[in-house]
Amino acid sequence: MDQVYLPRNRQGFPLGGYVVVKPLESMHVTEKPHFYGIKEVAPLKLGIVQEIFALISRHAHDCENVLITGSFLEEGFSFQDIDVLIITDKEMNEKSLQKAIESSIKIEVHLLVMSHDALLKGLATDPLYHMMLSKAVAKKRFIYHVEREVDYKLLDLHLLKSRVLIDNFDSLNGNEKYSLVRNMVAIFEFIKGEKLRKEHVDKEIESIFQVKVFTIRQNVLDKKTFLREFRGVYQKTLDLILEGIRHDSKQKQAH
Amino acid sequence: MTQNRNKLIELLIGNLVNSVLHSILEKAINDRGLSKRYAQELLTSFSLAQRYREKINPVHSALPYQDIAYIGTKIIRKVKAELEQRKAKGYENLDISLVEGLVERRLKEMKITD
Repeated sequence: MDQVYLPRNRQGFPLGGYVVVKPLESMHVTEKPHFYGIKEVAPLKLGIVQEIFALISRHAHDCENVLITGSFLEEGFSFQDIDVLIITDKEMNEKSLQKAIESSIKIEVHLLVMSHDALLKGLATDPLYHMMLSKAVAKKRFIYHVEREVDYKLLDLHLLKSRVLIDNFDSLNGNEKYSLVRNMVAIFEFIKGEKLRKEHVDKEIESIFQVKVFTIRQNVLDKKTFLREFRGVYQKTLDLILEGIRHDSKQKQAH
Repeated sequence: MTQNRNKLIELLIGNLVNSVLHSILEKAINDRGLSKRYAQELLTSFSLAQRYREKINPVHSALPYQDIAYIGTKIIRKVKAELEQRKAKGYENLDISLVEGLVERRLKEMKITD
C-alpha cells in the first residue's frame, strides 16, 4: 500500500485514512478506433494508437480523421516507424506535432497531413494510396468511393523509384528491396485494374518471383534469377505505361 | 582498387540519372501536388548516389577533371535517351533543355565539382 504524506492536519484526512490519488489531467477517453483490412491489433499497439489519437486531438482537435497505416499494423514488432495520416483542410505545424508524438511514444513517426480532396485525388490516381488505406486503423469511420483514374505520367514517375533496385541490388537491405518490388507490382496491378490490398500484392510478388516475401525481406535472394525476373516485370510495366501515354496523347490530339 | 572505383562511379552515374530524370518527369506532371505526395516514403536515388560518392576519393573535394567530364557527359546522354524514348511515345511537357542545368546542380551537390 502506498502512503501519502500531508504536511499538516486537514479536516477530513485522518491519520491512516484511505485516499484516492488521481492525476489532475485526466486521460482523454477516445472512441473505439475503426479497423480496415485487419481484424485486430495487439493490445500494446492499440494503446499506442489511442495515445496517438489523443495527442493529435489535443494539438489539432478539428481534424477530419486520423489514420494509422503501414508496417506498424503488421503482426509482430518488426516495424521501423508508424505512418500517421491526418486528414484536415486546416493548416498545421506538422513538425511540432511530429515531435510531440515522438517524444511521447518514443517511436519514430512518419506524419502525413493532407486535405480531404487531396486524399480523394490520391486514391483515384495513386496505387500507393490504395495500398496505404487497404490496411488501416482510423479514428473515425470512413468510406472513400473514388473512381480509378490512371494517370500514366504519374505512374511513370512512381515506377522510376523501383529502378533503383536494378543498379543497387547489392547495396539495399531486404526491406528496401521489398518496398521497391512492392511499388512496381502495385503499379502493374493498378494498371490492370486489380484491387490493391497488401495481401493481393504480396501474393502476386510471390507468384512472379517464386520466392516468399519473407525471403525478400530477409535479403537472402538469388541475385541473378531475381534480377532477371525483376527486369522483365519492370520493362513490361514501363511498356504498359508508355503505351498508355501514347494512347492518351492520341486521344488529346483527336479532341 | 581501380576497378572498385570505376564500379562506384558507374553506380553513382546510374543513381544521378534516375534523380535528374525524376526531377524532369515531376515537372512534366500537371498536378505538382500529386507528384510530390508520399514521395519521402521511398528510397531516393539521390540518397543512394550520396552513399556511393562518400566512397569515391577525394571525398571532400572535387573529382579530377577527367572524372567530372566522364560522369557529366554520361548522365546527360543517358537522361536525354530516356526522355527521347518518352517523347517518341507522345509524352508532352518534357523540357529537355533542363537536363544540363540539373546535371550541373547535382554534380555540385555531390561535391563532384566545386
